[in-house]
Amino acid sequence: MLTYAFNPDIIYITESNNDGDVEFFIRFVVEAPHLEKFKEVQHYFEDNEVYTDALFYAYENHEYRVIVRSDYYVEFVLQLMKHRLVEQVQWKE
Amino acid sequence: MSHQALLAIAIFLFAYGFIISEKIHRTILAMIGGLLMVACGIVDQETAIHHIDFNTLGLLIGMMIIVSITADTGLFRYVAIKAAKRAQGSPVRIMISLAVITAIASAFLDNVTTVLLIVPVTFSITRQLGVSPFPFLISQIVASNVGGTATLIGDPPNIMIGSAVKELTFMAFITNLAPIVVIVMASYIPLFVFMFRKQLQTSEERKRSIMELNVNGLITDSRLLVKCLSVLAVTIIGFFLHQAFHFESATVALAGAFILLLISGEHQMEHAISKVEWTTIFFFIGLFVLVSGLVETGVIADLAARAIDLTGGDPVAASMLIMWMSAIASAFVDNIPFVATMIPMIQEMGSMGVANLEPLWWSLALGACLGGNGTLIGASANLITAGLAAKEGHPIRFLQYLKYGLPLMLVSVALSSIYVYLRYLA
Repeated sequence: MLTYAFNPDIIYITESNNDGDVEFFIRFVVEAPHLEKFKEVQHYFEDNEVYTDALFYAYENHEYRVIVRSDYYVEFVLQLMKHRLVEQVQWKE
Repeated sequence: MSHQALLAIAIFLFAYGFIISEKIHRTILAMIGGLLMVACGIVDQETAIHHIDFNTLGLLIGMMIIVSITADTGLFRYVAIKAAKRAQGSPVRIMISLAVITAIASAFLDNVTTVLLIVPVTFSITRQLGVSPFPFLISQIVASNVGGTATLIGDPPNIMIGSAVKELTFMAFITNLAPIVVIVMASYIPLFVFMFRKQLQTSEERKRSIMELNVNGLITDSRLLVKCLSVLAVTIIGFFLHQAFHFESATVALAGAFILLLISGEHQMEHAISKVEWTTIFFFIGLFVLVSGLVETGVIADLAARAIDLTGGDPVAASMLIMWMSAIASAFVDNIPFVATMIPMIQEMGSMGVANLEPLWWSLALGACLGGNGTLIGASANLITAGLAAKEGHPIRFLQYLKYGLPLMLVSVALSSIYVYLRYLA
């Protein structure tokens, strides 16, 4: 399985199961420049051909819920890594 | 019947048959059919070009450019999420809101563009609510075809009729078709609720999660949005006034499109022009030439004479025949080639002595547009939505759609028949 680590002084991420998909709850502790980076992740998934790969929902206070289809879980985490929103990703047995 | 007429019919039926079978792309078939009409000497190139209705093409291209730029501003997502919040997260009310938004948008944009914009937001909202997107998608398909019926620019059959008959202005379409469209939509809303009520249950927590959504930030480019809305408003006003200024509707749409490109910057141009559905444009070109072969060889005149014989020249019988024939045909075959064939036939009926053609035109528009709701293959918006749904793991089967689409179509055509009779024929 793929695991990741983030800096809780910048961003806080939790995930849970949602009808077979993975639901991320993301809260930004520090806004700049991470929020813009997160919008790039959102743009990446909203601009491709698949509409339901990752669905983004914005709430007050820079809180986001993202419902990620299980087959796009790895891609979503790697996009977070690419934009330095998580600090480490690792395959674990 | 002359040898040329028989050849024209053979080419037309060959192309039409393959278009219905959907084995080869309809654009390729229409273009090959049109080119065969020229290559076989049924029409010469100059006559073929004369038959291509550049007003229809210009109107479609202009509106496609305006909509493609407006779509990039996030406007449609904003409107849909805002509507979901106003509906307080209730799936039934959200379904109704999105269907009404789809109908209104389809009246002023084309149906396919409207569903392409609304369907992705629908997936997002239904996933959040934890309900099946099926009732939402079906109601949006149906609403797009009903809403598109209300205006000259809402649906390709109306664009073609409005372009062929100069007296039928943008305003004439609204005053004659919008009332029945409102009646049909109003009758559909309780039917949608009744048909889908069991599939629209969700928890209070999920409703709350919709209510708490933040819509700020959904508009991605507010300066561009102001420009788009301004140009769209001026363009729609232009449609209302086009006859007073002696402009064709294509001039209005293309002026709007290129003014928007001028004020939004050249960087938008490549993207906007690439978003024009060129396959649809070439499909129209091929069809116009294909039908020109039937017109030039007298086949259409012959059909018109037979239609007059069949109805005894009675306007009620002729109107009802055209409406129901158009609706049934449009439910199973593409309504664009059907309307392309019917337009010269009705014109021919006029030259053969049928005095009042107006009810016939409205019957054609209502039958062809509303008939598209009958089956999953009845209109482009249906196929596009079904394609998107299948790709996202929510396939809409032909029979599954038929169960809802056909009764709804029959209700709308029955209401339209009463409307046409009472307003124009009683």
